[in-house]
Amino acid sequence: MHGLALALLIAYVVLDTAGQLVFKAVASDGRAGDGLARWRYMLARPWIWVGIGCYVAVFLVWIAFLSLVPLSEGVLLGALNIVAIMVAGRILFHERLTPLRVTGILLVAAGVAIVGAGS
Amino acid sequence: MKRFYLIGFTLLLAFDTVNLLCFKAAGMHALPLEMSMAWLLRVFSHPWVYGAIAGYIGAFVTWMSLLKHAPIGPAFAASHLEVVTAMALSWWVFAEPVSITQIVGAGVIVAGIICLAFAEGSEDTAGRIVPG
Repeated sequence: MHGLALALLIAYVVLDTAGQLVFKAVASDGRAGDGLARWRYMLARPWIWVGIGCYVAVFLVWIAFLSLVPLSEGVLLGALNIVAIMVAGRILFHERLTPLRVTGILLVAAGVAIVGAGS
Repeated sequence: MKRFYLIGFTLLLAFDTVNLLCFKAAGMHALPLEMSMAWLLRVFSHPWVYGAIAGYIGAFVTWMSLLKHAPIGPAFAASHLEVVTAMALSWWVFAEPVSITQIVGAGVIVAGIICLAFAEGSEDTAGRIVPG
């Protein structure tokens, strides 16, 4: 793989994982309350805007990456992300990884990779 | 909690699908593709692009509501059911070809999501309110 493509791949996984973790942290903040008040609270957190910034950056990195590699290889990134976010959730939010959960997550990741390979 | 997940993920899937279909329609109406102001104007002069934006916002609100309780690892994986519906709709609405390999991949994704659904089901019987 081209050096630039590899850099974009790493940027994609890191930015997407970071964005999702920030969203999870803001969404599960117990002080936020419910309903509209919860949204007012969440939208006033700087972190949610970091997450949205990550999203926009991921979109641009993705387009740049796809201009360097075929779509089928690009979709493999999606599979990588699923595993990265599972591991990050375990480390940062102490999410329990039961055998059934791990099996389910790995099957989804494999399925995404297979769909990519078949396109 | 099961009802919360069922409604949440169904809504998320609906918004994602609206977003995707509107994006595709907006792109088709704005052909030919070019890096120009004229193309951007064509994209934004059709109602489709606003449907796509509405889909984005709806999906974001739903996702943040789901994440209040849902663990990020399994939830992020489960949100990929969108890949399956996108495939089905591209074949059905836009008459795009779908390969056998892709159908197998879609089947594997669905199998994974069934595992995740069972995993949450067993969390409930264990009496834990917030998984993770």
